[in-house]
Parts: sequence; C-alpha cells; structure tokens
Amino acid sequence: MKNYLIQIIEDDPSVKKLLEITFKEYEFNHISCENKKNAMMMFLSHNPDLLIVDLGLPDGDGKEFIKQVREISKIPVVVLSARHDEKEIIAALDVGADDYITKPFSVNELLARIRANLRRNISGENISSKILCGELEMDIASRDIFFKNEQLKLTPIEYELLKYFLLNTNKTLTHKQILKEVWGVGYQSEMQYLRTYVNTLRKKIEQNSTRPNYIKTESGIGYRFCCNN
Amino acid sequence: MIKNFSFTHGIYAYILKALGILLIITLISHVFRDHLDIINIGLIHIIPVVIVAIHGNTKATIFITILSVIFFNFLYIPPLYSFKVHNELYVWSFVIFGIVGWIITIQAKNLYTQTKQNEMRESLLNIISHDLRTPLSTIIGTTNLLLYNSNLDEKSTKNLLEDVNYASMRMKRLITNILDSTRLSNGGINLKFDWCDFEDIVGVALEEFSDKQKDELLDIKIEDFRLFWGDNVLLKQLIINLLDNAFKYSINNTKVTLDILDLNDTLRIAVFNQSSHIDETKLKNIFDKFYRLEDSNDISGSGIGLSICKSIVGIHGGEIKASAVNKGILIEAILPIIKKANLI
Repeated sequence: MKNYLIQIIEDDPSVKKLLEITFKEYEFNHISCENKKNAMMMFLSHNPDLLIVDLGLPDGDGKEFIKQVREISKIPVVVLSARHDEKEIIAALDVGADDYITKPFSVNELLARIRANLRRNISGENISSKILCGELEMDIASRDIFFKNEQLKLTPIEYELLKYFLLNTNKTLTHKQILKEVWGVGYQSEMQYLRTYVNTLRKKIEQNSTRPNYIKTESGIGYRFCCNN
Repeated sequence: MIKNFSFTHGIYAYILKALGILLIITLISHVFRDHLDIINIGLIHIIPVVIVAIHGNTKATIFITILSVIFFNFLYIPPLYSFKVHNELYVWSFVIFGIVGWIITIQAKNLYTQTKQNEMRESLLNIISHDLRTPLSTIIGTTNLLLYNSNLDEKSTKNLLEDVNYASMRMKRLITNILDSTRLSNGGINLKFDWCDFEDIVGVALEEFSDKQKDELLDIKIEDFRLFWGDNVLLKQLIINLLDNAFKYSINNTKVTLDILDLNDTLRIAVFNQSSHIDETKLKNIFDKFYRLEDSNDISGSGIGLSICKSIVGIHGGEIKASAVNKGILIEAILPIIKKANLI
C-alpha cells in the first residue's frame, strides 16, 4: 500500500496533536500548519494526497484556501468544523470541499472518511467501463444499472439521481449540488423533488429505508452515497 | 399554566384591596374636600390605579382606571354628582390616569418575564451543574487513574476508556439539548422550514442509539409516505428526544414502539414504552421544563428533553400529550399538515 501524505491545516493545538498521533499510529505520513498563509506554500511544495482543513483559521477563512486549491487541483479536501455550523459546512462543500467532519469527532469516523476519500480519488484516475458499489454496478457505456446482478427498473429521474450518486461516491453532496446536477439550474431549492426521489430510490436499493446502507443523510446538509467495496 | 394560576388567584386579592383603598380615598376626600384642592384629590385617585398596575394585568388596570375616573368624575368634578364634564381640561386628567396605568402595567410585565427568566436560568444552572458533573467526574477520575497507574492490564484499560467515551457522549448530548433549549425558549433559533421525509429523519435520529436499541428494542412503523412541511433539524431532535425518553423509562428489555401516521390533515407521531405504574396526574407535568418523574434520580438526563419536544411541537403548531395505556406510557404528538407537496 502506498504511503499517503496528509496535510493538516488546524490552529487548535489539541486537535492538531490528536490528528498527528492518529496518523502516526495508522501509518499515514502527515505535515501540518496553523494558518492559511503557510498552507498554500506547504501544499505547493509537498504535493499531499489529502487535505484536512479547519474552517476557522487565525488569518482568515478556510473556505478561501479551499477555493484557491480547487483552482489548481482535484485533491480530496475534508473540512473540520464545529457542530451547529451547517451554513459554513454547506458553503465549504459548495466551494469544492469533498467531505466534512464535525468536532468533537471520533477518530474512527475520521479515518473512515479519509480512507473513503483517498479511494475515490484513485478510482477516478483509472477510467473503467464499470462503477462498482456494494451490490450495485453501473455500466458506463450502456448506461445500465444492476442491483444484485439484476437490472434495476428506474424512472428517468431516479436513474439520473442514482447515476450522479454513483459518480460521486463517498462524498458529501449538498442538496443544492444534487438538485442542480440532476434537475438542472433553477431547481436548486426544490427540496420536495429531492426528498421524494431519495425516498423512492431507497425503497429500491436499501434493505431497510430507515437504516440505509447506501444513501446516507447528512442532516441539514445533504446526502452521501456510501460504498464499502 | 403557572402564569394563569397566579393571575386568577391573585386577581381578586389585589383588586379587592384596590377597591377598598378607593373607598377609603373617597371617604377621606369627601370629609376633607374643603381642605384638599381638586388637584390633590385627583392625585390620590391615581393610587388604586398604581396598586393594580404593578401586578401587570392589563384588563385589571383598565377596570380600576375606569372605576377611579368614574368616582373622581362623579363626586368631585363639577357639575357634581353627574358624569358630565364642563371643563375640558379634566378630560386630560382622565387620559393621564390611563397613561400612568398603562406605563406601570408594561413595566410590571417586563419585570415579570425577567423574574421568570431568572428562575429558569437558575434551574438550568442547577441541572447543568448536576448532570454535567456526573459524567465529568467519570472522565476526570478515569483519566487520572489511567495516567498515574501504569500497571493496569489491557482489558481494564479498555473498559475504563469505554466509560470515558460513554460519559463524554452523554455530555455531548446534554450540551446539545441545553443549547437547543435556550435557543428555543428565547425564540432565537433560526427556523428552516422545508420539505421533510420522516423515514429520512428517523434514519438520522437512529444513529444516536446503540445497535442493541436499534436492532432489538425498537419497532418502527411509518405509514403512507408523504413529505411534511417542517424544520428538519428540529424534527430529528424531536424523534431523538422521544426515543431517548422511552428507552430511559422502559422496563428492561421491553420493546419501544414508534408509529408515524399520516392522517391527511395531521401527522401523528406516537412513542410507546412499557413502564411500571405511573400516576396519570403526574403525566400532565411531564413536558414542563426540568420536570422529572419521582424516584428517577438514578436515570440520567435532566427532563430537559421532553420540554424541548413540547417546544418543537409547538413551533409546528401541534400538540403533545402523554397518557398511561396498556401498562406503559404513550406520548403522542399531533402536527398539523399545513402544506402539501406537489406530486411530480
């Protein structure tokens, strides 16, 4: 397994320490800095595989840094944020962050998110003709989606929604992003469409729709399509 | 409820007092009317108005003001013993009676809410100090033990760390509830009404509970899926608090049931748990802030959860009630369906 390099941008010493110890323990290489100014220099000189960004930095907003990074790179970005700060989280995701985790967080959860995001990045590199996710399989060329080896019967919108999810697995997608990508510009606030179709889609692919394995709800923020291949 | 009680109970007492004083004033004014000027007589007639106004009840203030004005007018304003007023200047005196009463009533009302808020803050502090201290002492005690005891075996170390983890999760949930509670009661919470899917909300709420609770101790029934217009985050908190309460008070290893039913005009959320006998009269107070069933000191939590449920249901224009049925407690929240989603 490749040794990944994770860059931490976090000004709180105790959180930083916790992250550093965790990464050392789980054999991730890491570098860290406390502010936006150093973050960019470090990012350019070290070329890390994943970024962990705290939104409240001493010399400004972490979102601005994410925006700058997005202009030049597709690197996975995981945001760290205080709870009850949904607006900030949504804003960070909308400028290009891939995922978020709220403080206080459990180390297991953080590692799961990091692994999922690293995995996604690689699978994006090798363009294959099939996307596999749990018991779901999508053939990119024929546009067919199979569930448990049987072709799924989907309405056109259900299909578009599931396709979008499959192309963006293990990534937190905001309501606005999904509505814009699946329904189109101008539908960003039509939540009833999204809620309805997520519900019907869950009925088709989840064993128990109140305990979903694929389409996970990020309360107040959006959805994540989880794949644990 | 407390508010109404104090008003209905106290209203007669202080109005009677004011009436008595008005009578005495009339008597004194009458006897000494040649020594007192009309201005002084007017001023003493304000006394009963002030006495009633400090209780902050608008209706009572209006009542006593009118009475005072009538007495003053009838007995002292020329022409005497009639309700006619010859000099228009006296009409201004009557208006001033009203203004004085009004200003004092408003001030009294402010004072009343402030006192209530202070009481609330005090009980909140008591709760916080007790309920946060318990898990905190676990955390401090255990971490100290781990720090200064190097010869603990791996199994007990893990055991102790699990205690710390559990205690900190408890603190986290309590803090969330306290924050929600203060924001809800100050009306400062930013409501975000949008379309909600209760299956989705229940799914998110379930993540707060242990696997055993989810897998073995809970029966969920959500019928007739339809989107509901409400605040997602608050409704999630409602479900969490209702289930948390049901798990806390249910008899060990008996099932809790959650039913969500669309009744066309209303949505009914019902949570039932088996429980040892509960006094029906006590169930009425279950949603009051910081009320806890007696003999439940061993159960963690602060009674803050159900009061939040009440606020959340209230925000959605609904009602919540608890009743004793089938050897258990049934909590029902009825939320009106104010908006129906356009089917696509």
